[in-house]
Amino acid sequence: MGQEIKKSLDLHGVVCPLNFVKTKLALETLNSGEWLEVILDEGDAMLNVPRSLKEEGHRIVKVTPLGQTYSVIVEKGA
Amino acid sequence: MAQSNLDLVALKKVGMIQQKQKDFFALRLHAVGGDFTAEQLRKIAEVSEKYGRGQIHVSTRQGMEIHFVHFSQLEKARLELEEAGIAMGACGPRVRIVVACPGESTCRWGIIDTKKIARYLDQAYFRQDTPHKFKMGVTGCPHNCAKATENDLGVMGGILPGWKRENCTGCDLCVSSCPVGAIAQVDGEYRLDESKCIYCSICTSNCPTDAWYPAKKGYILWIGGTMGKVPRLGTKLKKLIDSEDELYETIEKVIRYYQQHGRKRERFGHMIERLGEDKVKEDLLDGSGDQKKP
Ligand code: HEM
Ligand code: SF4
Ligand code: SF4
Ligand code: SF4
Repeated sequence: MGQEIKKSLDLHGVVCPLNFVKTKLALETLNSGEWLEVILDEGDAMLNVPRSLKEEGHRIVKVTPLGQTYSVIVEKGA
Repeated sequence: MAQSNLDLVALKKVGMIQQKQKDFFALRLHAVGGDFTAEQLRKIAEVSEKYGRGQIHVSTRQGMEIHFVHFSQLEKARLELEEAGIAMGACGPRVRIVVACPGESTCRWGIIDTKKIARYLDQAYFRQDTPHKFKMGVTGCPHNCAKATENDLGVMGGILPGWKRENCTGCDLCVSSCPVGAIAQVDGEYRLDESKCIYCSICTSNCPTDAWYPAKKGYILWIGGTMGKVPRLGTKLKKLIDSEDELYETIEKVIRYYQQHGRKRERFGHMIERLGEDKVKEDLLDGSGDQKKP
């Protein structure tokens, strides 16, 4: 893949909306265009966090299933 | 006492239900989608204090009931409510008040104008006689907050997703977040299996580049849902209906069909079980959209 992952965050077991809040805080430490990896639970987390990220102007780059969780790579928006 | 002259059946028709304390009645009020103005609520509170015991009950279907109104006060209470624009509800074997979720007017998932449809259904059918009680619910999307599938007739908003190859970055989010696994990737192409899709709009809302987009917006019609002693979830009548006119025509057919074929005190869903789901679908869809397709 094109870029290195600047930061990784394991949000397995973290419920909505805290998982999104933590993702947002982690993104704040990055520069725009840089990548963050978050591990999200299947179900509600995967339904809500990506959508909220989109609404905030960030972009999902890649999603990879890991059993009952997913690795989600996010590119920080402008 | 005068109570023995009360026509309980007629009273039920306009939402006045005798309580187990036989001198007292519950006044069930009309509502559409559980919406009341502050002014109406003040009036309801006032009437409940004046003619009842200040006790108001919120029903499981978004209605209001004023409890403990003495039978001698029924007419006065009703008149006072009606003067303030608050009509009576319904009970017994007829069309009940229509429930609705907030829908597109305020909910971020809302696909259809639930309140508008609920108002239409209310104006067209409220209090019409049916073989047994008949409940309708309108829910803005397949999250189904207003529980369309547990009503005799349920309307649900939905979208059919379409895919634009040129926008797709291959991130795989859609494959991972579709709640029913209706999207699969084959050689870089993302394909929808419409027979699995529940029209929920999660893919179109989530896709980072809008490669999935709402190709069609419409309505899903559920028939024959009921709770009660013998619960049954509604049956999906057909694929996404994309015109409001077709929706209303189909609903008209459904209600007339139940009025014609339902046995006395037989819920619509139980009638569907008796006649067979396939037969009912065939009767209802005969000559409509789905049949024209080759
Ligand atoms: C972000 C997503 C969601 C939003 C914005 C949302 C919003 C709402 C709203 C506004 C209502 C009130 C509807 C009304 O009473 O008129 C409601 C009720 C309800 N929602 Fe959700 N909802 C969401 C997700 C879900 C999910 C995922 C489920 C089920 C797993 C669910 C189940 C319900 C149920 C059962 C009710 C009815 C509660 C009752 O009995 O009063 N909702 N929701
Ligand atoms: S059914 Fe959909 S539109 Fe209606 S309140 Fe629930 S999420 Fe919102
Ligand atoms: S979510 Fe959108 S961009 Fe990502 S793979 Fe699916 S269609 Fe392509
Ligand atoms: S609309 Fe919902 S069920 Fe249909 S493909 Fe998209 S996410 Fe899956």
